[in-house]
Order: sequence, then structure tokens, then C-alpha cells
Amino acid sequence: MNILTIEHLTRVYGTGPTAVTALDDVSFTVDAGEFVVIVGSSGSGKSTLMHLMGGVDRPTSGTVRLQGQDIFARSDEELAVFRRREVGLVYQFYNLIPVLDVVENMTLPVLMDGRAVNEDRLASLIQTLGLTGREHHLPNQLSGGQQQRVAIGRALMNAPAVILADEPTGNLDTKNSAEIMALLRSSNRQLKQTLIVITHDEDIALMADRVIAIEDGRIVRDERRA
Amino acid sequence: MNVRDLLREALRALEANRGRTLLTVLGIVIGIAAVIAMTSLIGGVQQTLLSGLGLNAARMVQIGTSSPLRETDIEKLGKLVGSIEFIEGTLSGFGETNVDDRQISISVTGTSAHMLEMTGQVKLTEGRLFNAQEEASGARVAIIERGGVKTYFSKPDADVIGKQVKVGNESYTIVGVADAASGGVGNDSYMNLIMPVKTVARGLSWLPQGSFDQAIAFVREGVDVETAVSDIKGALAKTQRVPEDEIDDYIWVYSMKAQIDSLKSFTMAFQLITGAVAGISLLVGGIGIMNMMLTNVTERIREIGVRRALGARGRDITRQFLMESIAICVLGGIIGTVMGYLVAWGIAIVVTNMGLLQSLSANGGSVTFAPAFSFVTVALAVGISVAIGVLFGFYPARRAARLDPVECLRYQ
Repeated sequence: MNILTIEHLTRVYGTGPTAVTALDDVSFTVDAGEFVVIVGSSGSGKSTLMHLMGGVDRPTSGTVRLQGQDIFARSDEELAVFRRREVGLVYQFYNLIPVLDVVENMTLPVLMDGRAVNEDRLASLIQTLGLTGREHHLPNQLSGGQQQRVAIGRALMNAPAVILADEPTGNLDTKNSAEIMALLRSSNRQLKQTLIVITHDEDIALMADRVIAIEDGRIVRDERRA
Repeated sequence: MNVRDLLREALRALEANRGRTLLTVLGIVIGIAAVIAMTSLIGGVQQTLLSGLGLNAARMVQIGTSSPLRETDIEKLGKLVGSIEFIEGTLSGFGETNVDDRQISISVTGTSAHMLEMTGQVKLTEGRLFNAQEEASGARVAIIERGGVKTYFSKPDADVIGKQVKVGNESYTIVGVADAASGGVGNDSYMNLIMPVKTVARGLSWLPQGSFDQAIAFVREGVDVETAVSDIKGALAKTQRVPEDEIDDYIWVYSMKAQIDSLKSFTMAFQLITGAVAGISLLVGGIGIMNMMLTNVTERIREIGVRRALGARGRDITRQFLMESIAICVLGGIIGTVMGYLVAWGIAIVVTNMGLLQSLSANGGSVTFAPAFSFVTVALAVGISVAIGVLFGFYPARRAARLDPVECLRYQ
């Protein structure tokens, strides 16, 4: 079943002679529960693609459909609500709120939505992520790997339709990288969580169901593995 | 996100930059402290002055006529003018006496215990007021003013309750000692006594029995005193058959409204000046807040991007930054309020001890005053703080909300 449909997606930054085409007529679909890795060198348009799929940015043309719904048909306000509920974002630099502790960071999207925190889910996530005993630590009291686990917890908290991770291991050592990827992989396997990871790490690409390569804003390779 | 979560985050963010927060908050602290100190000091001075005039001064009307006021005139007036709550005649008398070889002039005021309570011009410090039986029978009792104790008994702190004081050929028993807020001048050869009206009428007044030299009326709360004054004039003219165009030659009706109004306009002018000073410091403080919030937005640009990406709407960002500027202003307001009262108390103590308010006292006695604490002022201070927070926080907050989330996320 296809969960994400991307059609003729184009994003041009700026206008006139200084205009830069970051993404040029990109189309593909992602099945529910699939683990897709998008590879490409820096400046290839991977991050632009991720922001468009996450509804953070709007395209110059083209559509993104999540579960059949055109996300850019929504108003800015509706799009914000969509991001809270349907997408989980993980960044290279963790991007935790420095004044909030582990639990507060993880529950931020839920609180933004004005809903009650599902305490059972929170507790099981904290345990799975190995953050037990650090619930009330601030981000600067945690190691990089721990901070990234909090970010993953934050992304998973709302049980989103899709997790988008932009270089989630880019700032971590090999051991922590392997742990983080194992966590993401297991959520993909056990919870049938659709997972899209942007990376330039070939080892990560080997773990995926499918690898899409982007160069200069275009898809140059799309391989499904058996 | 509910207000509690927002507030918690705002306070954390402010705490994370404690030094900058404290410096920024100073502007608001000074402004609010100025507002509180000035309003409470002016309020205190006003209360002192008004209580010098008497408790119900604003409602009090003094009535006199060129011919003696008869008891029946006063009764009719009370019935004819609906706005009068209470009216009573007063009588003054005069006498002389010799103590040792000094001659003392004594002025006597004839009134009732109820009238003394209503005007509040006499503050009993020892003994009691007259009782009903003494007032009805015209008993020979008197209240002596503090200055008179010294005049008559040569010692200002003598225990005089129950002692006799002689006026002319008669002796009067002292039942109370009072501090007079007005007219209580005492020196070596002159003193004041207060007695029941009937007592004065029996031997100290030259007026015929049943007459008074003036009446004092209190109009009901909320009634316009000026209207009451003209009603009283009209009614009195009718009962005394004074022609319309000669009313002012025969009848005098005064209220203290004019004095109170001028006092109020004086304090109002003062309040305007200090309000302007406070306004300027609050403006400067507010600009400081705006400056800090703009810096704040720039520093946290990445955080803003993350929040947007996680699903914060523009208005969630606006609310978050607004809450921060409101929190800092309210914090300043609270500190400023406390400081303002401390300053006001300090000034009040200095002013009282230096006797700077002596000239405001009718009898030359010492005047003490305390800053007026009012919840209205505190509410005003908090209100102003919130208003400044919103006013000067709005622009930075809107700016934060309008930032492009992708740009923010790219910002390193």
C-alpha cells in the first residue's frame, strides 16, 4: 500500500538570474512500512526534499500526497497541525530545545497539539531508547548519542505516518551511529513505521529496503532490494 | 500548549539568561517603582489633608443666617430638603476666668456627641463624649482640648478627667480630652472647650433660648453637594421669608467642596507630573525589553525553526515570545511595586520626622502620614506591566513568527 506519493516536485529558491533549482521534477512513491534511504552529495537537494515531504516548506510546483491527501492544499495553520501529527522529523544536530528536559522535549509536539501525553507510550519509548534515569536531564547534560535518541523519541511520540531523518548519524561516532540506526530499524520492523533516511553513509544504505540517489535535484537511481 | 506550559517555558528561557534578564528588567522596575511610590505618597498626603478637614468633610454643609437660626427653622430644613441626612444647630459661647493671677479667655463650642463623631474634627484621646442624658439636661460637662490642659492646669499632661474647669461663675466637669484637628489653638491666655448645646445655651451664649448661630448639615452619600447647597438656601429663604434677590445678604450656606476640589486638583496636577516621569521611564524600559527580545529572537532562530518544523503555528511562536516579554515585565512590576512601597515608606518617615508637613496642620501640631496602600494601584502596576510586555513584545514576537522555518533550520 502506498503511503507517500510525490509527483513532479520542483523547488526553486530565489528569482531571476540568481534562481537556484534545488529540486527538479522529482516523482516517486513510498509504500507503508518501507525503509527508504535517500543518498546524495551535499547540495544535491536531499534536505529540500525532506523539508517538502515534511510539510515544512512549500514547493514551487508539484504535489506531495500523504495517505492520499495533498498536504500543500492545506493552509499554513493546517499544515502545522499536520506536521505535529503525521510526521516525525530527526535532524543531524538533534535540534532539542535547550531549556526543556528529556521528557519535555519528547512530549513537545503532543503539548503543542493540546493533547494529554500518553504516559504508557512515553514510558516505553524512554525504556526502548535507553534514556531511563535521564528523564529530567537537560540536553546539554547528555551525550550526542543520547540527544539523538531523545530526538528520535520526540519523532516517535505521536506515532506519525512517516519518520523523516536527515543525516541522523552525521554527527555521531561509529558505535552511536550503529545504535541509532538499530533503533530506527527496529521501529520500522516492529511498528511497521515508514522510515525515510537521508544520508551519504553507504553502510546505512545497505540496511534499507530501497535506495534513491539524487544528484543536482534529480533522481538518478532508484533501487529496491530483494 | 496551555498557558501554564507556555509560562514555564518562558520562565526557563528568562532564567537561562539571568544576567541579561535582570538588567533588562531594571527599566521596568524603576518605572513601576516610580508609579507606586508617587501614587502612594500622594494618596497618603491627600488622606492626611482630608482627615484634617474631617471625616465627612465632602458631605458637610455649614448654614448661617443674619438673624439667629431657630430650632424650628432647622427642623423644617431637615424635612424640606430631602438630600439632608442629618442636621443640627451648633452654638458658640464665650467666657473668661482667672487662674492664679492670669486671665484666660475661653471660647466654647456647643454641639452634640453625634455631630462630633460625624465631623471627625475632634479626636478624643482620653475620657468620653457627652451622653444623651447630659445633652438633654444641659449638664455642666465639657471636653477640653489638649492645648487647653496646658493653659488651664499649667501642665500639658495633667490627668484632668473629672476635674472642674471654671468659666465665668460656673464650674464644669471635664469628661474628655481631645486633640483638635482644627481651631484648637492654645496659648497662655486662650483655650477652647466643647460642651453640649444646651449647656452653652444656659449661660454662655447671648442668643435667645432655642436659637443657634449656625447649623451643620450632612447631605446623603452620592448627592451633589452644590445642588444641596442651593436647595437649602431656597428652603431657608421660604421659611424665613427672605426675598429671592436678597438671599445672599441674609443666608450663608457653605460646603467644603471648593476646598476639597482645589486640594484634589492640586494632587491631580502632581500626579500628572509624576505620571509623565514614570511614563518616560516605562517607555525607556519598554524599549529595553523590545531590544532584548529582538536579540533573543536572533539567538534562538534555530529553535524557532525546530518548533515550526515540529508543528508550531506562527501564532504559537508569537504567543511564546509574547509570554516571555510579559513574564519579564510582570516580574519587573512585582519588584517595582515592592521597591516603590519601600521608597514611599522611607520618604514618609523622613517627611514626618523633619516636620515638613507642619504647615498643613491646622493647629500647628505634628502631622504624621503613611503612604496609602491600595489594591487599585497594585492592579494598575500589574496592568501596566502586562501592557508594556504586550506592546513592546509584540513586534519581536511577530518577527519571530514570520521567519521562514526552512531558513531558520539552515541557520547555524
